[in-house]
Amino acid sequence: MLNELKEFWRFRDLLRQMLARELKIRYKNSIFGFLWSIVPPLLQVVVYTFLVRGVFSATAKNYSAYALCGLIPWTFFQTAILDSCQSLLANYGVIRKIYLPREIIPFSYVLSNMIHFVLGWAVYFAVFAVILRFFNMGIPLLPSMLWLPVIIVVESLLVTGLSLWMAALNVFYEDIKFLLATLFNLMFFCLPILYPADVVYYSDVVQRHPWIYKLYLLNPITGIITAFRKTILQPESPGSFVVRLQGKPALPMDWPLFGLTSLISLGIAVAGYGYFNYKKWQFVERP
Amino acid sequence: MELSNNPSSDSRYAIELRHVTKQFRIRHQGSLKRAILGAFKPKRVELFTALQDVSFAIPHGQTVAVVGKNGSGKSTLLALLARIYRANAGEIILQNQEGKRPKIAPLLELGAGFHLDLSGLENIQFYGSLLGMSQKSLDAKIDSIIEFSELKDKVDTPLRNWNDGAKLRLGFSIAVHTDLDILLVDEVLAVGDEAFRNKCSQRISELQDAGKTIVFITHELGSAERIASRIIWLSQGSVRMDGDTASVLEAYRKASRDGTI
Repeated sequence: MLNELKEFWRFRDLLRQMLARELKIRYKNSIFGFLWSIVPPLLQVVVYTFLVRGVFSATAKNYSAYALCGLIPWTFFQTAILDSCQSLLANYGVIRKIYLPREIIPFSYVLSNMIHFVLGWAVYFAVFAVILRFFNMGIPLLPSMLWLPVIIVVESLLVTGLSLWMAALNVFYEDIKFLLATLFNLMFFCLPILYPADVVYYSDVVQRHPWIYKLYLLNPITGIITAFRKTILQPESPGSFVVRLQGKPALPMDWPLFGLTSLISLGIAVAGYGYFNYKKWQFVERP
Repeated sequence: MELSNNPSSDSRYAIELRHVTKQFRIRHQGSLKRAILGAFKPKRVELFTALQDVSFAIPHGQTVAVVGKNGSGKSTLLALLARIYRANAGEIILQNQEGKRPKIAPLLELGAGFHLDLSGLENIQFYGSLLGMSQKSLDAKIDSIIEFSELKDKVDTPLRNWNDGAKLRLGFSIAVHTDLDILLVDEVLAVGDEAFRNKCSQRISELQDAGKTIVFITHELGSAERIASRIIWLSQGSVRMDGDTASVLEAYRKASRDGTI
């Protein structure tokens, strides 16, 4: 594995070029360009806020800050994996003709999404922690926000590992991308993106079988989204999301569990990279 | 597969193949359904042998043509040298004159890495680094690349609107400007118009004079005769004959006439 990493490093110029190309092409033939990275998530938040406030009558203050805290990591997770899943076949002409460490291709897509991810957080803090505070609508600064870079790194590990893994699999089984698209659609509603994990914790089924909650949080992306939310925002009682739960206390940040999430993410990163290297010489021999 | 600096290798050679065999698996469709169903059936792997126990050594600075009819393994051989495939058995040792890992420029299907929405200049950047050029040497050579390709102001426009000839000229121009030790050419010498073809031949002979090693595949015996000093004749995945241009060509032409090729 060390040799593979060295080889990867030798080609860092190419990685830079691929990344630049990816970022350039993305909005090349569109009129609104970079706005396409900003406007759709904002519209999403408007609709979700209406849905949660108006239809499910939640009373959470500042729901948009709350929802974005889940949407930003989720969007990175989903788009990076789907993008890199397609990447090897999209660049099949190149890998069939020219030698390069093939992990550069999916990794460049992960990196370009990572850049959007970090920019997303920058915009988030500029808007909610700075600008809106002048109008008394923002979020207070908390010392626990300093954990943000650590959680970003953990999510990046997870996403890199899964992306390499799925990219390698998708060369041989193109069902993978359909499978993932379906899974992600379902996960969006099952994971605590629009609502806190606490709501799941207090649900009747989980109260009767607490191990389900443990299992739920063992999914690393659940743990990561929950960690973002619990370090960036003040605790919000689950009652302000689901009326029935009024009076129940918000759960504290579970640090041992986050430690486990980090370990699992690291494990997935190593396993994904290993699997990719194990398969990468067979990509060009695909039938 | 050994990539470089093998202590047992002979540094006189740029390319050394020792008993190289390359087989491909024939799989009839790849889908998850088949894989799951297949898990319950005994595995039956069909193998196709593209190259069988091929050995030869090419000294630094030699120009070698590889001939043979379709399906004889020429393209597989070139792809092995370009490190697209890994051999199933045997060793391939590639090195430059210092015994280090050589820079290999493949001229395989020009412009495989071009993106049609990007301008010529942007594509030079990308394709150049794809062929292993550093940013520094790209910056130094970019004018010369544009000049050689005869594109002038067209380099600022997206490739989408270019004709095929222009794309080929750009691809060739970038490839021959890399800091290469070994040049691999896959039947692309016949690109562009007469004038550009002459320029290509001239550039190839400059590379020969500079002591670069060149391996090229061709069906055109005339160009093999003009450029190469040695010919390797492949037949059904094995070396049928390997020697100086004149004698191999004579045998090859004779076999062609007799239909025993």
